[in-house]
Amino acid sequence: MSLLANPKETISDLSRPEKWVLGVSVAFMVFLFGALVTGALGPAYFLFLVGLAGMYALLSFGLNAQWGFTGLINFSVAAFFGIGAYGSALMTADSSPIAGGLNPIIGLVVALVVALVLALLIGIPTLRLRADYLAIASLGLAEVVRLIVLNERWLTNGSAGLRGIPGFFKGWPVLSSFPETMPGLRLVIIPGSPILLETSFWRASLNVLLVFAFAGGTYLVLRRAHRSPWGRVLRTIRSDEDLARALGKNTYSFKMQSFILGSLIMALAGVFYTHLNLYVGPGDLDPITTFYAWVAVILGGSGSNRGALFGGIVIVTIREGTRFLNEVPVIDPAPLRLLLIGVVIVAVMRYRPQGVLPPQRELIWPNAIDDRGAPERPESGVREQKGGGDDE
Amino acid sequence: MTVLGYLANGLVFSSIIVLGSIGLSLVYSIADFANFAHGDTMTIGAYTSLVTFGAIGGLGGAVLGLPYGFFVALVAGIAVAALVAVGTEKLIYEPLDIDSIGLLITSIGIAFIYRAVIQIRFGSESTDFDIQALRPIDALLPYGIRVTLHDVAIVVSAVILVVGLHVLLQYTDLGRKMRAMADNPDLARVSGIRTKRIKLWTWVIGAGLAGAGGVFLGLFNQLAPRMGFNLLLVIFAAVILGGIGSVYGAMAGGFLIGMINQLTPFFSNVVEALPIWPGWLARVAEGLVSIEYANAIAFVIMVLVLLVRPNGIAGEGAT
Repeated sequence: MSLLANPKETISDLSRPEKWVLGVSVAFMVFLFGALVTGALGPAYFLFLVGLAGMYALLSFGLNAQWGFTGLINFSVAAFFGIGAYGSALMTADSSPIAGGLNPIIGLVVALVVALVLALLIGIPTLRLRADYLAIASLGLAEVVRLIVLNERWLTNGSAGLRGIPGFFKGWPVLSSFPETMPGLRLVIIPGSPILLETSFWRASLNVLLVFAFAGGTYLVLRRAHRSPWGRVLRTIRSDEDLARALGKNTYSFKMQSFILGSLIMALAGVFYTHLNLYVGPGDLDPITTFYAWVAVILGGSGSNRGALFGGIVIVTIREGTRFLNEVPVIDPAPLRLLLIGVVIVAVMRYRPQGVLPPQRELIWPNAIDDRGAPERPESGVREQKGGGDDE
Repeated sequence: MTVLGYLANGLVFSSIIVLGSIGLSLVYSIADFANFAHGDTMTIGAYTSLVTFGAIGGLGGAVLGLPYGFFVALVAGIAVAALVAVGTEKLIYEPLDIDSIGLLITSIGIAFIYRAVIQIRFGSESTDFDIQALRPIDALLPYGIRVTLHDVAIVVSAVILVVGLHVLLQYTDLGRKMRAMADNPDLARVSGIRTKRIKLWTWVIGAGLAGAGGVFLGLFNQLAPRMGFNLLLVIFAAVILGGIGSVYGAMAGGFLIGMINQLTPFFSNVVEALPIWPGWLARVAEGLVSIEYANAIAFVIMVLVLLVRPNGIAGEGAT
């Protein structure tokens, strides 16, 4: 932690967990950069991982808008993600049994509309339920969606899935042919192991650009929404729904709005996944996707968008990092991944139920804080201070 | 197959669901959270008995087409499932200081850990008990009923376990304390009931029954690391249909859901025979009431019950 030894103002303002996350992220970035330079990690694959991390962050943003803001236990993340992916794949893929070959923008719009309809279909019956019933019911309905996608071959191609999906920028003026027109570059940083930047690299960098645009836009919208009066109502519902109702708020309507907002963001993640992976199958609707998003949110800190971003990156590290164990014949990576996810869930709930980066200053308008940043932590407990002086 | 045949199949499958749903309902009412690790507790029971049976073999004679060794393995499966559940309660759930939603999320993590450990040890492929598959009982074939002696053994064992639980709940001290605790934990505590101890017994009974259900599920179908998790939602549907917290409701709900699940092919025949108008509606109905959607039908029933009668068909306070 030599970086923190010479304190810059901004760093010294950070809370302890923030410093930790920053330190770990920097170390991780250095590690990845090292792997990139030495050629252990292909640049195109690296960008694929960045795209995937962005996608999980987007998924976590969506869940955060439901669980973190309003306290809705939605276990149907995979359904919305899958609907988003299938919606855009069915519109754009060559092998699509219904439309196919359309512009990806149309796919995006269709996916969002279908997700909106599904959010209403799932939300109207379940959002009146008690929290734990909502969890079970939404998981059940997500399974219904998965079974429909798996079995209605005329609509979805069944278990074969959809192939022949174009990139998102197909049909755009310059960007559609950008990967092909860019020259192949050959960077030699370490002699003997050159880094090749070819068409796949440029294609992947376009995808990263896209997910940054999606995730960045979503982040800004959510941050604004969370601090707005609307977001305050949601937070009130989360901590005490009866109180919100007593204040004259139509909590059902607010819950529905937050549910729809989150579902649309999840569908957006699905749309991006379609154009990143270029293949969509019923396996993408497996409940494990739901729990990946959940781990990301509760690890990052429920209600914290930065936390969701951090959680998304951790999930990709677990998901893709275990793939490198394929060379080690001792242990199978699939159950190991499951074990890690399980251990992370239990460990977070046991030792830090509020998550690594719980929302603190995120909820305060920046200009509401004076220039010195975070308020000082009192040396003694608040109660002692209050007890000590009667006339302060 | 005839209606009787489907009903017989439903009875066998129901027995398994009932064993699972009783435990889930007990834990739901006494430990006060929806335990998502319950399905994987069933898997633990199934794999324990697989290992035990492989180690001790048949032990000579056989009852209802099942060697003695299988019943020893069944007891081992029940015991290990109960032990694992008690260990988890002591190690994980008890020290936690969070609400029931937090416990629910934790139990998902526990479920993944159970399943991952089983998958690391046994691989993800499905296996079978090393028991000769039997022909359906000849005497029943004229009625269109295709059940084997093994199926009969499943039903008989489930009935024995359920009756045993009934006696325990109604006529023993432990049962009375459990019912008191399910009704009102605070009142039970001030009345001098050691609620922690009762909670542990609840885990023993609930997980033990789940273990038995898992063993029978392995005998009925196959063993796979996902077997329990795949069945979990069906069991939840049964518990909700019967009314959460009501053991007898869970039995009724398990019975109904198991029946509906196995009767789906029969229903789809009925739908095909019905004169539904217009034609597209008939096609949609035929498409949706088919064997692929047997589980989906259970989930939809579950959501409908939650909406219309959140206390379940048995109503409140039936424990």
